[in-house]
Amino acid sequence: MIARPALTLRGIRKSYPGVVAVDDVDLDLYPGEIHALVGENGAGKSTLSAIAFGETRADAGSVEASGTVGLVHQHFELVGRLRVWENVLLGREPRRGWRIDETAAHERVRAVAERNGLAIDPDALVEGLPIGVQQRVELLRELDREPSVLLLDEPTAALAPAEIAAFFATVQRLAQRGTAVMIVTHKLQEVIAYATRVSVMRHGTIVARMETATTSVDAIARAMVGGDLPGVAAREATQPTPCLTIEALCAGAGETRIEGLHLEVRAGEIVGIAGVEGNGQSTLADAVAGMIGYDGRIAFAHPRATLGVIPQDRQREALVMPWSIVENVVLGRQDRPGIRRGVVIDRAHALADAQRIKERFDVRTPSLDVPVRTLSGGNQQKVVVGRALIDSPDVVLAYNPTRGIDVGAAALVQSRLMEARNRGAAVLLISFELDEILALADRIAVMYRGAIVGDFERSNVDRAAIGRLMAGLSNA
Amino acid sequence: MIELVLSLALLTLIKATPLIYAALGGVISERSGVINIGLEGMMAIGAFTAVIISYATRQPMLGLLAGVAAGALAGYVLGVAATRFKVDQIVAGTGINLICAGGAAYGLVLIFNQPGASAQVPALGHHYLVLVVLAFIAALALHWLLARTPWGLRVRACGENPAALASAGIDPLAMRLTAVTISGALAGLGGAFLSLGELNLYSDGMTAGRGFIALAAVIFGRWNPIGATLACVVFGLFEALQYVLQGRISWLPADAMQALPYIAALVALAGITGKVRAPASDGVPY
Amino acid sequence: MKLRRTLAGPLGAIILLVVLMSLAMIVAGTSPLDGFAALFQGALGGTSQIGETLVATSALLFPALGIALAFRGGLFNIGAEGQLLIGALFAGAVGAQLHLPGWLGMIVLLALGALGGGLWGAIAGWMKARFNANEIIATLMLNFVAAYLSLALVNGPLRGPLATGAETAWLDQRYWLPTLLPGSRLSIGILVALAFALVLYWVFTRTVFGYKLRAAGDAPEAARRAGIDIGRITWISLALSGAIAGVGGATIVTGELHRFNTQLSPGYGFIGIAVALVGDLQPLWICLAAFGFGILEAGGLAMQASAQVPKDAIHVIEGLIILVLAARRYVAARTETAAV
Repeated sequence: MIARPALTLRGIRKSYPGVVAVDDVDLDLYPGEIHALVGENGAGKSTLSAIAFGETRADAGSVEASGTVGLVHQHFELVGRLRVWENVLLGREPRRGWRIDETAAHERVRAVAERNGLAIDPDALVEGLPIGVQQRVELLRELDREPSVLLLDEPTAALAPAEIAAFFATVQRLAQRGTAVMIVTHKLQEVIAYATRVSVMRHGTIVARMETATTSVDAIARAMVGGDLPGVAAREATQPTPCLTIEALCAGAGETRIEGLHLEVRAGEIVGIAGVEGNGQSTLADAVAGMIGYDGRIAFAHPRATLGVIPQDRQREALVMPWSIVENVVLGRQDRPGIRRGVVIDRAHALADAQRIKERFDVRTPSLDVPVRTLSGGNQQKVVVGRALIDSPDVVLAYNPTRGIDVGAAALVQSRLMEARNRGAAVLLISFELDEILALADRIAVMYRGAIVGDFERSNVDRAAIGRLMAGLSNA
Repeated sequence: MIELVLSLALLTLIKATPLIYAALGGVISERSGVINIGLEGMMAIGAFTAVIISYATRQPMLGLLAGVAAGALAGYVLGVAATRFKVDQIVAGTGINLICAGGAAYGLVLIFNQPGASAQVPALGHHYLVLVVLAFIAALALHWLLARTPWGLRVRACGENPAALASAGIDPLAMRLTAVTISGALAGLGGAFLSLGELNLYSDGMTAGRGFIALAAVIFGRWNPIGATLACVVFGLFEALQYVLQGRISWLPADAMQALPYIAALVALAGITGKVRAPASDGVPY
Repeated sequence: MKLRRTLAGPLGAIILLVVLMSLAMIVAGTSPLDGFAALFQGALGGTSQIGETLVATSALLFPALGIALAFRGGLFNIGAEGQLLIGALFAGAVGAQLHLPGWLGMIVLLALGALGGGLWGAIAGWMKARFNANEIIATLMLNFVAAYLSLALVNGPLRGPLATGAETAWLDQRYWLPTLLPGSRLSIGILVALAFALVLYWVFTRTVFGYKLRAAGDAPEAARRAGIDIGRITWISLALSGAIAGVGGATIVTGELHRFNTQLSPGYGFIGIAVALVGDLQPLWICLAAFGFGILEAGGLAMQASAQVPKDAIHVIEGLIILVLAARRYVAARTETAAV
């Protein structure tokens, strides 16, 4: 390429207390290219894109952009109770005197949407829109500023396969019109399919730069982890017996309502729920965990069956962030005999449990008394999973157990789930990562709009068919 | 009988007026994401300052403006604490209340050489009825500002998701600071109405929880200026009722009747919450 | 680094306090030297002065401990003033008519204080748990209801036959709490307060209830998912919080005033918030903070009398301390969770 870069990063460095997030990075983005930035969690991708966007100041180095830079956040920064046009034009409202010129505002939003081939109703309330459409709003907001550089942070995390294709069609149109696009992602298939170049980050530096035409998913993955991928514990033969039975389950409301769901999870098997986020998975998990009321039947084979839960949001739902590891290990078990002695908590018992989890899960921490918020995401998740499994529960409910953690920690968590299955636990695995489900599950159920729309045994899995079912295409 | 109803209606509107100003302040503040529990203190300092300035200049209008300014200053202090220093809003508001009430009491002793109450000062006289009408106009104006102007849109966005506002290039902290300052100015006006409008002096404890009742009105009115204003009228009615009923109902002592507006606020609070939704980031530091 | 952070709070508060008070004294036309001399003379200058300081310490300690309990559970109880008043009213109303042996009577009166304050706190707790009514406004409103209700009662049916103001009849002498410090008004009520502090320390650090309470306060969603009944914790902790403040009210009645009077609290329930925050919501630190504020309260009166510095300056300064210290723990926890 001979064109001048639209964005030039030189010698970027950024450190936070105790960690160097980005270390001496150079990067050029050219008009018309789709550049993928990949790396493990904590490799520095998000920090680098925040610096490129101008949200974070680098400690050293220079950022030069030929025009404006737009950033689409992974967690949309939208205002749910405002309308689409209000979100898109927030901060740049067309005025007529003191007031907002609403006619002009509508026209402007329609024009941007049309130019980019994005269908949208400017008057819709954002909170009522499906995730995929909300992302369109977020994208429109950036496009209205006509950026010469567009940064996309994990843009497809919450999209169905069909939506992903449509999304990249839009992105490719943008690139053709001369926008420089950078996608921060960990979905390597998408990198190969849609990006032109890829930069791999590890420990704050760029360790590999490749043309996607001449590389492979495997090569990128090895560059990401700096070697071979860690293995997962072997699947042993088990004799599955009935354990958890869900019949005619109806629960929840709105988009995520479940209607007449049937599912059986047997002891000694992992049942994976495949599906795009927002199709009722959280309702199913909440019902099984007893967090919400429901109609229908959720029955365990024996009445004293125990349940270990790995919630989806570890920081909000599973941990008390300012507390120590020891105190967190008690959470949810505070009334169990052994932990509870009369009216007090047996601290020696809690300490022993924490010690056991630290050893079995290789929790990297200077001490068991440090607040869990000081741990990395991977180590936090190890505490959560360790706590869920420590009492050898009969049923394990795992919701995105490896989301946002590094490959090593993910392999360890997956191994422990496999071992729980091997010893005879019934594992219900809900994950938005199809690869994770394909790797772990004995049976796969596909969830779409609150119902199970397909069922596969491990022996006859058809990845393409699952993808179609996830998108709601029934002719699988 | 008609005379009684008319005087009750007029008294209701008068009693509602300071509540409305404070509640409108509460609406602005909470829509921007700051719970202003300091309204009570801001009313007190507004009432006190108005009296002091009227006493010094013999100009009640100047007093009124000074009351507004004092409220705004107290609002600014709360705003700085809640934004730049990320102090918990409830705690900071409690601090503001102590400072304002204590400061006014301290000032009374220093200036008038007597604890408890100030001397009588030049008051607004019948002009204060203009402020009654103005309260309702202010409610309509605020409604329009929030719904139709860029500023209003940004305030609403700030209270729902300040990060969204930040990514649109607008500093949510500055937005909140402005909103809380205006909030304090309105509460100060409400306080000045009490001391220079209804009365002609300041006495310790004269705001009597009106700032807190105004907060209840904000919730009862679903964070909407017009709703909050109507709620204030309801609470004003209960306050007016005690004057009208005094001496007419023998079994209920006057002291107990004074508790009516607070009980009304409690009942309102229990009756409607659960069905209402506060701005998503109300009370959450950014 | 850590040491600096630990010291920065209390030390900064004390320095700020001295500077601000000096300012207030200068404004009032007194030299700070004279002002502080008057303050400390009034607070610690003799047996009766020390007694008064400890009386204030005790009166502040009860509501502060109750507030700490509620705050730890994530509930802003701004109603300790009303809870204390109702506790005192219960003790005063029944105490004037009681016919029991002395020691049993004292226990019964303190228990009545707990009952009254607990009831007042439980109303807000029930409203929060049942209707999700904002506990801040509910407890605030209940302060006013308590004030007017008690006023109506002591101006009416509960008014003592010989009373000159709004107060009940005097308690029989056998129900007066024994004096702890001869030559002063200090009763053994302060020992009850210290006992509460110790028990609360144990509850927070050791018990299952304390664990659940702190979980509900620090991470409500995680607590709910851990099988903790948040609604139950809500009303129990507000009731307990009110009960502790209520016992405080009862000790004022049985220990110092020996009757109920609507003016018995000059805002202990509000200043208690400052005490609880300065004590970092830790029961043992709160004891220390209460002593510090006790010096200000008792010394402030003396300062007003002898150095002509209005006592209300103390409240301004207390408010400023709240603002400046302002629950570092909450802010730290909240912002750090949000940032990760």
